[in-house]
Amino acid sequence: MENMNTWEQLLTYFQTNGSYVLAQFVRHFLISIYGVLFAAIVAIPLGILIARHRKLSSWVISMANVIQTIPSLALLGMIMVVLGLGTNTVIVAVFLYSILPILKNTYTGIKSVDKNLVDSGKGMGMTKFQVLTMIELPLSLSVIMAGIRNALVVAIGVTAIGAFIGAGGLGDIIIRGTNATNGGAIILAGALPTALMAVLSDLLLGFIEKKLNPLANKTIS
Amino acid sequence: MKKKRIIQTFVVTLCAMLLLSGCSLPGLGGGSDKNSIKVTALSTTESQILSYMIKDLVEHETDYKVEIIGNLGSAYVNHQALVNKEADISSTRYTGTDLMGVLGLPAEKDTAKALKIVQKEFDERYDQIWMPSYGFTNSYAFMVTKETAEKYGLEKVSDLSKVSDQLVAGADSTWLKRKGDGYDAFQETYGFDFKKIYPMQIGLVYDALEAGKMDVVLGYTTDGRISSYDLVVLEDDLKFFPPYDASMVVRKESLKEHPGLEEVINKLNGKITTEEMQKLNYRADNDLVEPAIVAKEFLVEHHYFDDDKGGD
Repeated sequence: MENMNTWEQLLTYFQTNGSYVLAQFVRHFLISIYGVLFAAIVAIPLGILIARHRKLSSWVISMANVIQTIPSLALLGMIMVVLGLGTNTVIVAVFLYSILPILKNTYTGIKSVDKNLVDSGKGMGMTKFQVLTMIELPLSLSVIMAGIRNALVVAIGVTAIGAFIGAGGLGDIIIRGTNATNGGAIILAGALPTALMAVLSDLLLGFIEKKLNPLANKTIS
Repeated sequence: MKKKRIIQTFVVTLCAMLLLSGCSLPGLGGGSDKNSIKVTALSTTESQILSYMIKDLVEHETDYKVEIIGNLGSAYVNHQALVNKEADISSTRYTGTDLMGVLGLPAEKDTAKALKIVQKEFDERYDQIWMPSYGFTNSYAFMVTKETAEKYGLEKVSDLSKVSDQLVAGADSTWLKRKGDGYDAFQETYGFDFKKIYPMQIGLVYDALEAGKMDVVLGYTTDGRISSYDLVVLEDDLKFFPPYDASMVVRKESLKEHPGLEEVINKLNGKITTEEMQKLNYRADNDLVEPAIVAKEFLVEHHYFDDDKGGD
């Protein structure tokens, strides 16, 4: 092995450990997705709420901002005290980090809906709920999607650090590489799929985001 | 009104957290699953290989699911995970480390006595079982190349005393300065000094020895490069280094909750020699095979998966 260069070693690594890497890849992705999903469930309604109550918005957003400033390793450490070691702690950390981007984008999305459209909806006799589901949400969906996209990319990075508290995932492979004497290839074997995952999910969500933007489709026709 | 909302938000977040901590999500395993067994591992290759061995063996022999909590920084973190009931089995614990680190007792140079002390203390203080050793020990040892050993007729560390003034040595930089079992104490015990001793990073000493830059180095006994470079480990005849025999540690409660578990994990006791561990480490560190796969290879090779044989 010593006479191979790093790329050859990397190739050998993937050949011998393909199934393991794949399993960790799936695990890594699931941890990230769960965290973002839970954050979306909480942050989207919260974003809609604070868009209606302007006084509340500065409070809630600054609270989410504070969470964002905590370094990921420190946040993991703090949650670990409550939840202990393992996957759930990392999912909660991802959840907390994902709140701000989703919350802010939901808030901005709803806020930026043309007031005239909302007014005309009201004029047509729509209920508040109808205004929300038929006017505001469809128009702001692409902005909300952009927030989720942002959150997911960050989440994949945070999950990699989660390997330090025993959650597994691709971070496990990276840490093992840093401990091995000639671990360059092993580090890459963990880092490249992580980067790939981030780029792919970013592209995919970017695509969905474009599809959801009603204005982009309407202007052409 | 404002305050109320914030409190509401807080409550919702808290509920979500509690919900998360209480349930297991599809695809990730573990969580609240009563039957799942959690195994901790250090961030070393060795520890990871052993944790996967436990996982594969238990999952093969019983219906329990095993979850590995890997990459824990130190023996102390492993210990805490067991004390806080976050884990059931600690895959690798070394007598010397836990004797001085976790228990805070003075070093014990005798292997059997050290094992007896940790077994007794862990039982009394923490209600945990310190299993018999896997059969290997990962301690510091002086090693030389085969040529050097033949040239000077070296077998034991005290054999070095006649020729030590001609030899250049390399050792872990922290060991050189350490009190108690460091270089100063070593000189006192063995009564000789090397021509020159260089502080080095522990991972580099094997290559330095192989390349002829050093004559004697201090390394770890289970490192894979010992067998691949055909190095000779000198016997610590004056018992200077405390023993670091590796064992699992299990919570008694977990054994009660999981009938049949004890028999299964007992199958690994005394089955892995230091040479075997060297080979397994070498396979992972040098051949770039993941510990998970190395563990499976070992179990297959030693017939742990042939149902009637059950390991040899």
